[in-house]
Amino acid sequence: MSPARAVQQGRTRRTAAPGHSAGSTPAIILAGALAFSMVASGCTVANSNRGSAASPDTLRIVLQEEPPTLEACDVSLTSVGVVTRSNITEPLMERNPTTGDLEPLLADSWEQTSDTEWTIKLHPGVTFSDGTPFEAADAAHSIERTVNSDLACNVEGYVFGDADLEVEVIDPLTLTVASPEPDPILPLRVSFVEMVPRTTPLTERVRQPIGTGPYAIDYWDAGQRLSLVRNETYWGPKPDYARADYQWRSEGSVRASMVTNGEAEIAVGLGPEDGAGDLGVAYPNNETTAVRIQLEEPPLDDIRVRQAINYSVNRDGIVKALFRGLGTPAEQLISEGVIGFNENMEPWPYDPEKAQQLIDEARADGVPVDTEIRMIGRTGQFPKVNETLEVIQNALSELGMNVSIEMTDSAGTAEYQERPFPKVGPYLLVIQHGNQAGDAAFTADQYLKSEGFQSAGGTPEFDERVNEAGTKTGEERQEAYAQLFADEPNEVMQMAFIAHMNGVLAKAASVDYTPNSATVDEMHLKAMTRADTTETD
Amino acid sequence: MFRFLRRRIYTSLVPLLVVLIGVFFLARLTGDPTSLYLPESATQAQREAFRATNGFDQPILTQLFDYFKGVVHLDFGDSLRTGEAASTMALRAFPATLQLAFATMFLAILGAVIIGCWAAYRPNSLADRISSLLSMTAASIPDFWFAIMGVYVFAILFGWLPTSGVDSGMLSWILPIATLLIRPLGVLTQVVRGAMVSALSAPYVRLARSKGAGDLRVVTHHALRNAAAPALTVAGDLMVGLVNGAVVVEAIFGWPGIGKLMIDAILQRDFAVLQAAVLLTAVSIFVLNIVIDACYALLDARVRDKAKV
Repeated sequence: MSPARAVQQGRTRRTAAPGHSAGSTPAIILAGALAFSMVASGCTVANSNRGSAASPDTLRIVLQEEPPTLEACDVSLTSVGVVTRSNITEPLMERNPTTGDLEPLLADSWEQTSDTEWTIKLHPGVTFSDGTPFEAADAAHSIERTVNSDLACNVEGYVFGDADLEVEVIDPLTLTVASPEPDPILPLRVSFVEMVPRTTPLTERVRQPIGTGPYAIDYWDAGQRLSLVRNETYWGPKPDYARADYQWRSEGSVRASMVTNGEAEIAVGLGPEDGAGDLGVAYPNNETTAVRIQLEEPPLDDIRVRQAINYSVNRDGIVKALFRGLGTPAEQLISEGVIGFNENMEPWPYDPEKAQQLIDEARADGVPVDTEIRMIGRTGQFPKVNETLEVIQNALSELGMNVSIEMTDSAGTAEYQERPFPKVGPYLLVIQHGNQAGDAAFTADQYLKSEGFQSAGGTPEFDERVNEAGTKTGEERQEAYAQLFADEPNEVMQMAFIAHMNGVLAKAASVDYTPNSATVDEMHLKAMTRADTTETD
Repeated sequence: MFRFLRRRIYTSLVPLLVVLIGVFFLARLTGDPTSLYLPESATQAQREAFRATNGFDQPILTQLFDYFKGVVHLDFGDSLRTGEAASTMALRAFPATLQLAFATMFLAILGAVIIGCWAAYRPNSLADRISSLLSMTAASIPDFWFAIMGVYVFAILFGWLPTSGVDSGMLSWILPIATLLIRPLGVLTQVVRGAMVSALSAPYVRLARSKGAGDLRVVTHHALRNAAAPALTVAGDLMVGLVNGAVVVEAIFGWPGIGKLMIDAILQRDFAVLQAAVLLTAVSIFVLNIVIDACYALLDARVRDKAKV
């Protein structure tokens, strides 16, 4: 789009007048305006009133994108959660990404008091950053607001689905939460609800929430910078840094350079080639990439074609050559550490000959295998996404399939991502799924059930098995989900998995921080401390 | 003169309308903001309520009519992202873009005059070669490549400059200006050089020399004054291009101007902000053009007379 260019062309051309001698007026205007703007601003840029506090007490973090909001009930959205969760607001309990255990935070304990009900005891002496005490009424209000309201909170859809919860305040430090059906992982679901004061509106989203977290919002200059300041009344151990400044840059190389150049301490969402050098830290980020195959339209409605696509994906080659070994070839949609992960599965074999044979068979049976298929990807979804699509497209073209690549932005892929899907002919969608909740239920309900929000399809029998797995606990739960992941490729096959991904962040030597599998969605500032810089003579 | 201006304003209104209508429809072709602002699990009722609240449920022509009705009343809508008035966000961002554009143009004119005059006065000199190199560079190197290379060389390799942002005082200006400068400097240097070559061979320069004027006086008092007009014609166009073309540079360097605001608004499907930003840019460019035209009309009767026809 170049609106002003169109404007410019609509203008009458001026004729220069050779010989006249007073044509310097526009130059005077330009120079005058420049002088005025520079002098008036004292060399500072307009619209940038606050400078970065580049002091040792400030942690400067550079993200890929500005969070659209910091609304606590949208923390399952990566760009919101990474700033808000456990920094500004906190949940009742928190999953330890390393052990997978649910650990106390604002709640000291929780116990199941009936098939459907849990009683939660809160930690005493907690206050919000505005000084008001945190009590059971606030917890009940936060759950009501996130799960039962009409706010269409991201957490509601991602974690609770259509189910409403019954919440009752017993005393200032005790509440009960009940689900309509028995739910063995209710506390895990509740751990996604961030606590806000009871004064937070039930009918409106807030852009800048108040919470009990170790930091509070100091100021947010939209488009430029978000600055958090340490909550001096925080109930837990005092975090190391007095202030955290967030900025955002779309270019990965610029983000990495900001750390190598001493302009930021942490930069996230980097690729292996963004130039973080020795300051780059790779970590398994719980994300899995895959090609989701739409099942409705020919030729993709034929399982032989879907199998052929799977046989054509050279996962080893993609991980080694494109991701520079950062990641592992994927065999299922969840990563190790998530309840339900099937450790006995192997990636679907790379076998172009077998793929060709399946395509030839399908063609012989009248399946229109040369129909044009769109392969849709999201720009910047993961490093080397364009090249990954090209490799897959090339492999499918060699089978005689007609696949075109379409790259778009996140809003552009949204309509293909979720039901109801547009009826636009056969297409393949490159997806990336991260299960940060640590339980396969959050993946299976969305991706394996025939009407799941992000599922390309399934069967009634398979849906029944998914529902049944969700009611189990302990080892039975693990086995039921693991079996589902093993059976899906044989019974449905809606995915060609690519890789379990690694994330890369850049970290200045002055900071101690060990990223974990949850870092991509929640980056705890209190876990970032000053590195021991004591020097010995 | 008044008639000339009135005519210019009328003729400018048509492209302005075309731009606004074009942006209105193009923005909506990029996708439905509902899928971006509501979670995947939002119910149909929630989606419809969102559309109704923001007017997206109306037929597209009704939306367009409502938009223009708002514009007439100086109501440009609110940002879906921040809830702030779109006009406030656009007006807040615009001065940063203007600062960048004016500073770049000032340096481009200064540099072009010095190098262009030198090159014209001494053909095949070092300045002449610099002038050719600049124009070739300007024509062949894309802004974003120059920006990324600038970051790599001057921020990472040497560590002399900040990679981005606006917190480092004067240092923050250098890479964005250098990136924007290369094109206008290259083009203007060629124009100044060409104009000076013909001016220096004109009879009035020979006359000045015959009267004993020195080299410096010939260049600054005689040739340059007459060579300035074509250069300034081109400078006006380049200035328009700078305001318009700061998008890439602002996005890469995190410069808080109107270009970055537009990119953010497109990515966030924040239609009201995008429309307000485009409207403000387009109107500014019209005003800039009219001011430059008016200056020329004031100075050159032929331009004025043409408008009377």
